[in-house]
Order: sequence, then C-alpha cells, then structure tokens
Amino acid sequence: MKKWVKVILLIGLSVPILTACWNQKELTDLAFVMALGIDKGEDDLYHVSFQLVNPGNVSSGQNGGGQGLPIAVYKSTGRTMTEAARNATKKVSRRLYYAHTNVVVISEEVARERTQFLNLLDSFARDPEFRTTTEILIARGASAEEIVTTLTILDKLPVSKITKEIKSTEAMLGENFSITIDDLIDGIVGSGKEPVLNGYQLIGMKEEANKAVNLQKTTTDAFLAADGLAVFKDGALIDWIESKKSRGVLWVLDKAKSTSITLKWKGKKNALVFAPIRSKTKVSTILKHGKPVINIKIENEGWLSEANTAIDLIDPKTIGKIEKLTEKAIKKEVQISVKEAKRLKCDIFGFGDVVHKENPDLWKKLERDWNNYFADLEVNVKVDSYLRREGVRTNPFWSDINK
Amino acid sequence: MSILSKMLKNKQKKRQDDNYRQKQDPQKPEDSPILRDYQENISHLKEEVGNSSDVKVREFKIGAHKGALVYVDGLANMISVADYILETLMEAEVPDETIDIFQFMLDKTMALGSVETITNWNQVFDTVFSGDTVIFLQGYNKAISGETKGWEKRAVSEPSTQLSIRGPKDAFTETLRTNTALIRRRIKSPNLRVDAMKIGIVSQTDIAIMYIKGIANEKIVGEVKERLERINIDSIQGSGYIEQLIEDQSWTTFPTTYHSERPDVVTSHLLEGRVAIVVDGTPFTVTVPALFIQFFQAPDDYYSRFDISTGIRMLRILSFLIAVIGPSVYIAATTFHQEMIPTTMAIAIASQRENVPFPAFVEALIMEVTFEILREAGLRLPRAVGQAVSIVGALVIGQAAVQAGFVSPVMVIVVSITAIANFSTPVFAMAIAARLIRFVLMGLATMLGFYGIMLGLMFMTIHLCSLRSFGIPYMMPLAPFNIHNQQDAFVRFPFWAMKNRPMFISKGNMKRSGENQKPGPPKQTENPSQKGEEE
Repeated sequence: MKKWVKVILLIGLSVPILTACWNQKELTDLAFVMALGIDKGEDDLYHVSFQLVNPGNVSSGQNGGGQGLPIAVYKSTGRTMTEAARNATKKVSRRLYYAHTNVVVISEEVARERTQFLNLLDSFARDPEFRTTTEILIARGASAEEIVTTLTILDKLPVSKITKEIKSTEAMLGENFSITIDDLIDGIVGSGKEPVLNGYQLIGMKEEANKAVNLQKTTTDAFLAADGLAVFKDGALIDWIESKKSRGVLWVLDKAKSTSITLKWKGKKNALVFAPIRSKTKVSTILKHGKPVINIKIENEGWLSEANTAIDLIDPKTIGKIEKLTEKAIKKEVQISVKEAKRLKCDIFGFGDVVHKENPDLWKKLERDWNNYFADLEVNVKVDSYLRREGVRTNPFWSDINK
Repeated sequence: MSILSKMLKNKQKKRQDDNYRQKQDPQKPEDSPILRDYQENISHLKEEVGNSSDVKVREFKIGAHKGALVYVDGLANMISVADYILETLMEAEVPDETIDIFQFMLDKTMALGSVETITNWNQVFDTVFSGDTVIFLQGYNKAISGETKGWEKRAVSEPSTQLSIRGPKDAFTETLRTNTALIRRRIKSPNLRVDAMKIGIVSQTDIAIMYIKGIANEKIVGEVKERLERINIDSIQGSGYIEQLIEDQSWTTFPTTYHSERPDVVTSHLLEGRVAIVVDGTPFTVTVPALFIQFFQAPDDYYSRFDISTGIRMLRILSFLIAVIGPSVYIAATTFHQEMIPTTMAIAIASQRENVPFPAFVEALIMEVTFEILREAGLRLPRAVGQAVSIVGALVIGQAAVQAGFVSPVMVIVVSITAIANFSTPVFAMAIAARLIRFVLMGLATMLGFYGIMLGLMFMTIHLCSLRSFGIPYMMPLAPFNIHNQQDAFVRFPFWAMKNRPMFISKGNMKRSGENQKPGPPKQTENPSQKGEEE
C-alpha cells in the first residue's frame, strides 16, 4: 500500500513540471487562423490580417453549411507580431489558434525592408503552436490583406487553394515550389545560398475579391495566382525572377519534376512537346586555375505528349534527335536563370554551399564576398534527356495526311 | 522456471498454515452407520428428509426377505428403477432361503451398469440425491446403491456465446457427465484424467478436474486441486464462482482464468497442458492457467489457414486497443491536441461541435453511458421486447441526439466504432475489462490529454505484467519474452512450424508434432517407365 502512495505522489508531483502544451481548450473556443497577411502601414506598425475559418460554413454536414462565407478576416496592428496578435483579441471572441496556419503572406513593402522583414520571423519560429512548415508567400502587386481576404471558388478555404496550387505547380509545371518558414530562415542564415519566395498575385477586379458575389460566377472576377519568385539578398527582397525564367531555377535546385518543353521540328514551331516525368539534378564543383567551376548535371526522362508534325517516331534516330533538342532547350532555360541570378549578384542556387562542402578551405576565402564572386562564376550545364515513351500512339496522324 | 516453482512454494507454505480443511455443514447430521433393521432405516431416512414428497420409498419382498428401495422422483430414471431393479427382483427365484441374499441381489438382480455397496448414511444421501437408487435389506447393516441417474437434461446444442464458422457445432450442457464425455470423445487417450470432487457444503456440486497426464505440469495440477479443496462455501451455482475463488489476484479487471462452452477449445487447452475444471450445472468449463494473449485466440484461428488467422488475430488486438482508447483519443485530440488533427478534419469536427452545448468529455460520457445502458437493457430484456430496445437505441443514439444538437455526429461515429471493436474480442470476460478501462482513460484524457492516456496505458501494462495465473506470468510470451511461445501469440504459425507446447504450462512432453510436417508438391521421381507413358 505504501508503494502505491509513493507512486501516486510521484506522478502527482511531476504534473506541474511537465507542463508543455496541455492547457485544455475546447474545439468550439478556438478560432483557427488559416492565414496571416502582414502589411506595412504608414504608422510604421505591422498591419496584420488574420484569416479565420468559420467552421460551420465550410463543412457540408447535417448541420447545414455553405450559407455564409467560409472565412472571416480580422485586422489588428502592433509594433511586433505578438503585440498585433494580442491586440486582435479585442475583436475576436475566440482564442486565436495557430497550429493550423498554412500560409503567411507578406507584402512586398515589408519584404523590401530588412529589419521589418526579419523581425517577423522569430515569432513564427518560436511560437510552439505555429508550424515552421507553414508556406510563406510575398504578395505581388497587391497588399497582403487583399490576398488574404480573397475568396476562392473550387476550394472553400482559400489557404488550401494556395497550398494545393503551389504543390501542383511544383509537380506539373515547375515554376513555383513550396517554400516554408524553415527554408526561408535557413536561407537567410546561410551565406552560401540566398532564399527565394513565391510571389502571389491577385488578378482581376480587386474590389470584388472578398465578396460572396465573386463565387457566383464561373469566371470569378478576381482570383489568386502564383507569379514569379522573389529573390532575397541580405534578408530583404531585391528583385523578382519572372515566371518564364523561374523554371531554370527549379531545374538547378532539383525541384522540377515534370513540366512541358515545346520544341521546334524541321522548321515547324511548337511541333513537339516533351514532358519529363522524373528528373535529377546534381551540382558539383571543380577547381580550374585555382577558381571554382560549377558543373550542373541534369538527367531526366519523359514522354512525348504532343507531335504536331509528320515525324517518324518508329525510327530510333528520330528519338535521339528529339532528346538532343530537349537537352538544348533545358540547357538554355537553366542558362537564362543563371544569367538572371548573376545579374542580381545573388546566389539563389546554393552554389556557395556546394563549394563549401567540397572545398572548405577555399570557401573560407570566398565566403565574405561570395555574391560578387558568383556574378563571374563559370557555370557549365550538361543535360541528359531520355525519351522513353510516345503515349498511346506511335506516329502522329500528320504522317498520314501528307501521303 | 525457478520463478514459477518459487511462486508455487510460497503459496504452499502459506496454505499449510491455514486450517482451511474444517469445512462442515453445520446442519448436516453426523455420519452414522446403516442399521440392520430396514424399517428403522426407512424411518431414519424419513426423519432426516422430512416429508419431502420427491423421496420415494418402495417396499418389496424377495423370497422371504423383506426390503425397501429408495429413490428421488425426477432424478432417478423411472424406467431403470422399474425394469432393471424391481422387475428382475420380483421375477428372481431364490434357490435357497439360507443363502446370503445381499450377495445374491448384487449378483443376480441388479441389471445395472454400476452397483455399489454402501455402509453409512452420508453415502446414502449422496447417492440418492445424485439420482441413484438405494436398497435396504432386512438384517444387513449395509445397502446396495444402483446407478439409475436419469433426469431431464438439455441436449447438446450449438454454442450460444462463442461462435465459430468452421468449428464443431456442439457445446457443453449443464450435465457434468455429458461435458466430460464430450471431451473424452475428442481425446481417446488413457492419459486423460478426470478427477472428481465435490464443492459446496450444502449444494455438494460435482466437479471434474481434467488434465492429460504427462503433458500437464504436475505442479499446476496440484495447485489447482489444492485451491479447489480450499473452497469453503455453501454452494456453487456456476463456474464463475469457482473462477473467482481460485484466481491468483482478485483486484484486477482482467480475467486470469479462461472459460469456454466449446469442447474443442477445452480439448485444445488440455493438449497444451492446461487443466480444465468442469462444473456440474453450468455449460462453461474453466481452464487454467490463462494468459492475456489467449483471450484473442478464437477457435477459427486454427480451422482457417495461418496467414488469414494471423491477420484476423492482429485485427482483434487492434480492435481491443480501439475499444480501450477510442473515446479517450477523441477527447484528448479535440480538447488538447487540435494540432494533431489534419486541418480539414479539424475544421470538420469543429463545425459539427459548433452547436454542441457540452464539453467533449461530457458529450463522450453521455454517449458511452447511453450505449452501455442500451447494451445492458438489450441483454436483460425478455426476447420479445428486445427489438424495441434496438429500435429506440438506434433512433436515440444515431439520429435524434444528433438532430437535437446534443451530440456531434463524430461522437456517434467514435462510440459506434468503439462498441463494434469491443464486440470483436472473442471472450466476453476480456471484452468487459476493456469497457471498464475505457471510462478510466476517458477521465485521464480529460484531465491530461494524450499524456493522461499514455499514463493510463502504462499503468495498465505494468498491472498486466504483474499478474499471474497459477504462477504463470500473465503476459507470458511477451513479458517475459519467450521466443518459443511466439508461434501462437501475435502470429499463428502454420501447424508444421508449431512444434512445441507452451513452456511452463506444459511440462515433460513438449513436442507437438514430428519433423518435416511441411506439406509440398509430390516429389519428382525419376521413373523412366512413367516418362515413357507420358510420351
């Protein structure tokens, strides 16, 4: 019996020590913050928009849903993130809950100012509720508030539209890719790689974006779309890489999985489309005359998704030729991106990290002025493409038309 | 092994100190010898049993000798009494008046399978109340008892609680002899021992202890007998009485003895070296020692192939876990760890809970208690009204409560899954343990979240590991881990790989099967003549 008393006492006493995150909170007392929008006001305060979910209007169960709007946005201001969040409690009846925050949108204005931008990040990384896997975006051509207040039609929750959209772009097109708060902080801290963030646009009639009317049309008046990559240097946004040029960045970062590459064939434009299905990029460095040289090797394989010309696909030589053309096209894309980065003097590819890993002594010398050094770096690109399949048809109907 | 023998020794020492053997029915008359005068015997009998109308006395004459036979109406088979005792007795021709008429009757007139000579009154009452017929003869201070047992009994029918798809369809009945016969019919070995015992000072219930000599651990058999002898109670109304009086540990919700109404289950337990206790008057036979994992083994595990039975056994263990922690995980996840739920699901649950007036724990408690009430009511109600309960229950739990907004639909799902999971435990005694623990864990989850659930499960595990069944650790093949006994724990090995009987439970003859039992395609024989035929 004495033993039991001891055991129960021990457990009882350990309860106050083990307090981590177990304050009880009922689901109905929580306001799920789905997205945060951070703008800069004229008063030098953060203007934070909290996108809260209205659960009753999201799920369509027996209790009936979908009458009202799925989200509600509350705004608040503060000198710091925490202050803004605490100020918001004056307006929101429930406890703000960040564990399900999927997206943080930061306005371009804030991102361009180093201290203001960096002051935000620690609160995201430190809060136990907040996930460091949260997607972080830059509002492009719109305020963060506008992005956060926009209603979307297919996904009831705008955040799930954004996160899903970025993932599907990453998988199918390769112009944007998922970047989390963790990735961002890693990039800011490390000297061998500068971070990039996805840009997000609000296209169309901005004033209609946050109204229910926007959802009652098949072509919505305003919609959200990813657009370009924001390039950061020394903890502040310096410039954008446009969508067309951003695919090369993803090739180098080994993020591109699938995309479409349009090829010219015997003078006919847009004749062939090569769609890679898997791709692997290796970046390595060698020393040449005491200087580091970067070698990028991309290997991918895919299938021919279109052939709009008379072409003999049964001939292995043709396949070889298509492969060559693809390699050329990809190489060009990568070179354009590298040129763009060099112009910005900003190593977004992490070449510095490669040099650091393979030649630490040399890196010590170069580290301080790496971004300038990067601008004149010799970068070689080698692409190996393999055309494995031609879909469910061999020769296109074009081959029969001209006979 | 040493743990076991130590345990048993300690128990034995304790026992020797008790003077538990003084078990006497205070109302029972002192044992006295049978008298020579049969008239006096009859009047003594009548004095003892009073005017009990079912005790019948029939006087007779054989030759010149007078006598009387006594039997209990309803227990004795009237046809046996009339045809094989009275008829032969009346038609018998006594050759000489001087012969020993007692011996003559034993030899010539009792056309019965079992006839005994008894000398004192306790034996008289024992035999008469077991359905036998006792014959007193003038001038002899002993009596003849002939077996005429034959009362109304239920026929062997299908088991009602432990069902199986491919297994045999017979089940034990309330008659001890039928039950032992059902087992004996399955093990035709002279080593199958059936030791008889009577327990219950007033009820004098017959009990048979069955085991296979050479396979069962003698120490355990001895321990079982000793614990049974220790029982000092007025009556035994079912095997549950016995179970509770011979357990190692009373303060537990987990059953440490196994009971079954299936002769095939009991037989296989006997073959694993366990001891069976068959109790008269109940169709449930107790087998000991019982281990935790045993309660997840269903008879069909052995009748279907090993891969299927392994999968299903895993499923049963999983469903036991669901039955234990189901509602508490719901409570913990929705009140402490909302971050653990995927976003869309969290919102879905939140939207359902939006209008529920109770906190999650109260909601869960209402539903769980309602369900338990329904289950209990369904069990107790007369069959004719039973359907009404299920209709009301389905409406109350399933629909009305949700529509009224008292509970959320998720809670209904959680309660239903928990309830269904609970039903899949093959043995009711284990299923009911899960029901009790569930409520404790719900309370812990409300106070401490997942931490509380883990705390509860840890306590449960520690408790389980501390249990013993007849000296055998309850969690046996798992803790202490024993590689040899894994063949029938989580995974049911194919029979050709299940070579050994469980350790400690069985002792001596450990081998179950011979070598090379694995079946396969016919061996390729190089027979030129056969080849020729094929061509």
